[in-house]
Amino acid sequence: MPDRLPRGGSPAPRWLWPALAAPGTAWLLVFLVAPMYLVAAILFGTIDPILRRPIPVWNPADWDPTQFQYVWSRLSGADGFFGPALLRTALYVGTASVLCLLIAYPVAYYAARIADRRRGMLLAALIAPFWISYMMRMLAWVNLLQNDGLVNQLITLGGLFDTEIDWLGGRATTVVLGLTYGYVPYMILPLYAGLDRIPASMIEAGRDLGANRFQTWRRVTWPMSRPAVVTAVILTCLPMLGDYFTSDLLSGNPRTSMVGNLINSAVLTPGQTGQAAAFVLLLLLVSIVPMGLYIRVTRDGEATRT
Amino acid sequence: MKQPGAWRAVERDISRRTFLKAGGGVAAAAGLLSACGGGTAGPGSPNASAVQIASPTNPVRWPIHDDVPMIASGLKPEAGSTLKIYNYADYLSPRVIKNFERDYSVNVELATFNDTEEAIGKIASGGLGYDIYFPSYDQIGKLVAAKLVQPLNQDYLANISSVWPQFTDPWYDLGWQYSVPYTTYTTGVGWRTDQVNTDVASLPNPYDALWDPSVADKIAIIDDWHVAMAMVLLREGNYDINSESSEDIALIRTRLLELAAATDPKVTITMYNDLPAGQLGLCQMWSGDVVNAVYYLPKGQRPDILRYWFPEDGRGMVDNDLMMILAGGQNPVAAHYFLNYLLDEQVSLANFGFTGYQPPQNVINPTRLVEDGYLPENLRTATVLPEWFDSGTRLLGMPIEVEQQWLNVWQEFKAGA
Repeated sequence: MPDRLPRGGSPAPRWLWPALAAPGTAWLLVFLVAPMYLVAAILFGTIDPILRRPIPVWNPADWDPTQFQYVWSRLSGADGFFGPALLRTALYVGTASVLCLLIAYPVAYYAARIADRRRGMLLAALIAPFWISYMMRMLAWVNLLQNDGLVNQLITLGGLFDTEIDWLGGRATTVVLGLTYGYVPYMILPLYAGLDRIPASMIEAGRDLGANRFQTWRRVTWPMSRPAVVTAVILTCLPMLGDYFTSDLLSGNPRTSMVGNLINSAVLTPGQTGQAAAFVLLLLLVSIVPMGLYIRVTRDGEATRT
Repeated sequence: MKQPGAWRAVERDISRRTFLKAGGGVAAAAGLLSACGGGTAGPGSPNASAVQIASPTNPVRWPIHDDVPMIASGLKPEAGSTLKIYNYADYLSPRVIKNFERDYSVNVELATFNDTEEAIGKIASGGLGYDIYFPSYDQIGKLVAAKLVQPLNQDYLANISSVWPQFTDPWYDLGWQYSVPYTTYTTGVGWRTDQVNTDVASLPNPYDALWDPSVADKIAIIDDWHVAMAMVLLREGNYDINSESSEDIALIRTRLLELAAATDPKVTITMYNDLPAGQLGLCQMWSGDVVNAVYYLPKGQRPDILRYWFPEDGRGMVDNDLMMILAGGQNPVAAHYFLNYLLDEQVSLANFGFTGYQPPQNVINPTRLVEDGYLPENLRTATVLPEWFDSGTRLLGMPIEVEQQWLNVWQEFKAGA
């Protein structure tokens, strides 16, 4: 794309673009910067001596780092009992994201490139899970996975074999599969949007130049869909990082505690709200890394397209 | 809004501090000042207790604040008003609520919470306008000191005469100025005979079953730090379940980590559903929940597979929940009528039928709950006897720095390291 579009008439007034950006800027200030400052004010704030609820301290000069130090010193080392939960979170989220991608990419590819006339119906079916809340879908799994639930009945062929699996007994597998199931629709839609945008002419050119279907995919479609893959992975990873009720509902066992569970129980425990704030900030710092990656990839994508 | 928002907590705290100094019930001005000044609020930091701790050996008469008055006598609930009740889920019979609405021409709105700490946080944040709250007795001190509850006008509560005498002048609220009793319960061990081959009750120490992978898999303990950790001490034969000793707390930590390694328990409060559904085979359990569990058994499942153990001598956790009227509610008159309604013999029996939690009513003969059809024979052990409130152990409030040590251990256990 050329740098400047040719324009007719007089140039836009100087205030126009800042004015148009104002709602977005205000949105960021109100819903991102202010809440993060509140989280910091609680993290470095004090505690009400009677009810043990947090009292935010607004002036950074008066901030007290005790709560942060408490959490920090327990991330690793001899006292590091938070460490395993953080590693576990990374492992669960990583595995679930890979599984999501393995499921979502072929589906999105099919919907975007092959489905043709069935595309409308397929898209409606893909969006359908959004009509039901995430929590309701997880609760449905609780029923299906119970010891005498449908899943075990299928596995044992209606009680023919004695291989009943205790799915809800605190298994990492169940939590990872739960996360995968819960977030896969969030992965499919951005992938579909990305794959659908790839111009058919590019792919036709690949085929014309002698590549077979797989080679075309590997050398044309895949490189061009990479920004969409990164977007989709980030869109699913970030909410998964803070998820706690998948583990709560499908396991309820400390052995599958994720960082979301640590935050949730710290918020509900008198005197520990500051620790929850510490985890929130740590999580934010960790999630900035994939955000940076996203910005880089999309910028590169723009560059290759021009 | 009667209560200011969370961001006004600092200002609110100053008035509280003034009150506490003037009231003289606290020897903690230094702790308060340091906590308010931003000095030492970290976990485990020395912080003197801000609220007096009531116990059977230290009965407390809570102060009445001039700015939180009780209502006048002889008033009637406003017809068409909406009474807001804040309670655990499934802990109040819908039919009882409906009958109250019909008899007094008011609407009742029920909101629920998962644990009382979470509930107090929401009440204190203000603006929710709940009228009635169902706390445990160790929370009265905090609620009174923070001016979140109002004193009861006993003229409206004639039905108090029908409850066990222990609760008409209880140590946790001398003169029952702020609270009336709601239910009683014990905390023991529940199990299913089709999943557990051992008779847990006949073990030398039935609590051991929770630590023994050969007795059962699918084990759970109650998701409440004090209830779960107190059980660890009771297993050791230590009846000081509010211990301030660092050695005791360290021992609890060791035993909890052993528990996690041995039987990998779930930590939940939904035993009344999970045990009958077969998700659990053995769990720490409240007596009311095991009674309730009978109604959650799948169709065709015989109810006699459920069992419950509590020490026969009553030396275990014996507790009662309360009803209190919140200062931030708009319908204190209707709230008084509702409390009196639930203290009524017949109403509380109907409520017992729904919740499974035994009300402390004189009309109930605790030795005849099975014969009178309130409990099945196999759950006779879920009966709560009045004398156990003298022999049993009680979960009490703790000094903040001690509570913090307990909470740190619980946090470590729940992080699943």
